[in-house]
Amino acid sequence: MSTLEATRPARAVDPADLATERLDLGYDGTLVVRALDLQLPPGEVTAIVGPNGCGKSTLLGALARVHGPQGGAVLLDGRDLAGLRPRDAARRIGLLPQQAEAPDGLTVRDLVRYGRHPHQGLLRQWSPEDAAAVHRALAAADLLDLADRPLDTLSGGQQQRAWIAMVVAQETAVVLLDEPTSALDLGHQLEVLDLVHDLAAQGRTVVLVLHDLSTACRHADHLVALRDGRVVAEGTPAGVVTAELVRDLYGVEATVLRDPVAGTPVVCPARRAGRRQEPRPHADPGRR
Amino acid sequence: MTATAPPAGATAPTAGTAPAPPGTWWLGLLGRSLLVDRRALTAATALAVLVVATVAVSLAVGTAAVPLTRTLPAVVGAGEPRDVLLVQQLRLPRVAAGLAVGAALGVAGVLLQTLARNRLATPDTVGLNDGAAAFAVASVVAVPMSLAPSASALVGSATAAALAVGLAGGAGRRGYRFLVVGLGVGAALGAVTQLVLARAPIDEANRAFPWTIGSLNSRAPTAVAVLAVGLAVALPVAVVLGRQLRLLRLADAVVLGLGQRVGRIRLGVIATAVVAAGLSVATAGPLGLVALLAPEIARKAAGPRVVPVVGAALASALVVLLADLVGRTVAAPVELPAGIVTAVLGGPYLLWLLLTTRTRRMP
Repeated sequence: MSTLEATRPARAVDPADLATERLDLGYDGTLVVRALDLQLPPGEVTAIVGPNGCGKSTLLGALARVHGPQGGAVLLDGRDLAGLRPRDAARRIGLLPQQAEAPDGLTVRDLVRYGRHPHQGLLRQWSPEDAAAVHRALAAADLLDLADRPLDTLSGGQQQRAWIAMVVAQETAVVLLDEPTSALDLGHQLEVLDLVHDLAAQGRTVVLVLHDLSTACRHADHLVALRDGRVVAEGTPAGVVTAELVRDLYGVEATVLRDPVAGTPVVCPARRAGRRQEPRPHADPGRR
Repeated sequence: MTATAPPAGATAPTAGTAPAPPGTWWLGLLGRSLLVDRRALTAATALAVLVVATVAVSLAVGTAAVPLTRTLPAVVGAGEPRDVLLVQQLRLPRVAAGLAVGAALGVAGVLLQTLARNRLATPDTVGLNDGAAAFAVASVVAVPMSLAPSASALVGSATAAALAVGLAGGAGRRGYRFLVVGLGVGAALGAVTQLVLARAPIDEANRAFPWTIGSLNSRAPTAVAVLAVGLAVALPVAVVLGRQLRLLRLADAVVLGLGQRVGRIRLGVIATAVVAAGLSVATAGPLGLVALLAPEIARKAAGPRVVPVVGAALASALVVLLADLVGRTVAAPVELPAGIVTAVLGGPYLLWLLLTTRTRRMP
């Protein structure tokens, strides 16, 4: 492999066909997601949106085999994900959950190396492919200069890019990111979202959980709106995001405008549905 | 964001070889490969040298000193009969027991701390040692058989582990809960020991007493042999588990997303810790705080990349041997049990740990 090739982001991957079939998810007898049928378009960015507690993160975890379904199935290329060996599943599907923490003192490169875990074994601890993949992931996340810095000395945006680089190094056809832009400022959000677009451009199926509807509209090709564990709307952001959907999802009256740059929907919330006056400054319509 | 050219100094990997990440050695042959962490290896080597030096001093020093130049021949039975008696017959078994007990406690400590993601979680605190001691004491009082303490200590530590894990609803995901429940289980089993000792006839209680303080003085040869066999199995298993545990320091969802079978590793870790802690208590009783102190030394030395199983075993052996050496010499001819010395040394350390633990995470 030439030097140039190794620094370029990974070439197009085998596209993966990820879907759910009558999927029930839940904990302790309560179903969070009910009879969900979903088809995630390969090579596109899908955003899952919805109010707090609607089952977004639970769904993402199930797509990565972190928890098993109560009923139904997640299908990877038409086969039941639960029937796959965990390692084989992890070679096709990568997940970055929320609130990831690393041991103190671990460097960016150490973390990104963990992404190679599903490709390694007890007697296959480091291969040329591993070295190349880690290098590509660091390059894709623009972290080559920071590779040997301890994570805890980096900014929030850089840390988040390091975590995403770990998932990139896994070199999976499906990349699942749970709120990858939360707690980041505007510039850092865009850095992360640019990286997300690069991943999709390589033919990966990217699924994001996002809490900001406008961000989702601007950056996703495909939008899935969940409420109470059911799909309320699904399609292109421009096609599905309306004032009715915002009221339905969040209980908020809003005006939906067009982004003057991208032409995608922009949501301007006005007040909580059913209220006449302006809302209190921090009124939270969610369940938390 | 898209990478164009690598910045100056960064070199891209080329075909054929696998450039080792910084700080590691790569050993590869026929598609198999090992990656050795240099800092961890250096740390283990340094600790091993210290252990060897402490073994030599322990063999030489005592109520009757044997010069170091005559100690080594005496180990293999050469030299004056008096030296051979002191070194080979009296001190060598004691030092060997100290090595084995220390290594076992260190392994159990580093495994449990990493599993619970809390460095206060050790075989002392989660009740394994108390369980082993309670069952060992009960068996000595009830069953007159030399194998009984080892077997029942094993059952005791397994019982304590099962109770702590079961009542906490898991050991890893709920590390803090596991620790608190373990403290309770340990206290209850400690009370069992006291009850058995209080109800037993005085000379039987005397025979069982060593299992309650922790000392290398009154070990049974059978228990040492059983511990040695147990370690021969547990240590290699622990080394393999230690590699997997590097990943388990991350959040569960991350680890599962990377295709690791978390439950299987947790079970292996608990089983290994039970064997190591149980057999070491059967040999020397509960040596307090060793399993807390030693892994910390090993981690400081080996760095954040690894879970230092071998380092913790060596550091722990070092702590136990030094504690025994101090106990034998500091107030000679009166001998302080090693368990008292480790508690005296470990107590202030534990306090320091509790007072300085701000947001520090494990490990």
